[in-house]
Amino acid sequence: MAERLANRLKERRAELGLTQAELAERVGVTRKTVNTVENGVFTPSATLALKLAQALGLNVEQLFWIER
Amino acid sequence: MSGRSVSERADHLSRRRARILPVLAIIYITQQASYISMRTGTAVRTVDQVKISAWLVLSAVLLAALATKGFWFQPREVRSMIDDEVTRTNRADAMRFGFIFAMLTCIVVYFITMFEAVDGRDAVHIVMSDGLGAALIRWGWLERRAHKDG
Repeated sequence: MAERLANRLKERRAELGLTQAELAERVGVTRKTVNTVENGVFTPSATLALKLAQALGLNVEQLFWIER
Repeated sequence: MSGRSVSERADHLSRRRARILPVLAIIYITQQASYISMRTGTAVRTVDQVKISAWLVLSAVLLAALATKGFWFQPREVRSMIDDEVTRTNRADAMRFGFIFAMLTCIVVYFITMFEAVDGRDAVHIVMSDGLGAALIRWGWLERRAHKDG
């Protein structure tokens, strides 16, 4: 069965009133990276996932989960 | 430009690269047409030598752009950010794609040599152009997809 890494990046970002560019700035990546992770086009490394979670004030497990 | 943050600057340059890559690929592939038409002539003129040299220089520059972070004249922090995780992944994917395409071209060229002699220089030209061209197109497509919203 196919597995994919789902996330609630967009929802959390909206809750905090951040744009993709602002989140990218906080994490130290380009907006493109935030965009691809949000859309599920790109599966981030553990390092990037941790950075994103930290920037959004959540645990990695609260931000990402495996969807079957 | 100077008022922009490093992230914004990197994003701007990355978008520009995504737009330019397909154009570069077209220019590069179009150059091959002039090389093929040149082969029908008997003598190699000076202008033809210049064209071949231009192809060689362009190939080297494109290979360097593919293999390195590119944007060599930008500040280090901007270059590092342009080459973030997604870009590195896209670049690696494009290079893998280009390698497979080059190998497939090798098989085709090898097959052709069973029926017709292929000059070593021509073989190198065809394999290199196909490999690099395919990698550029793939990279451009992946980068444009990454920039697309939604």
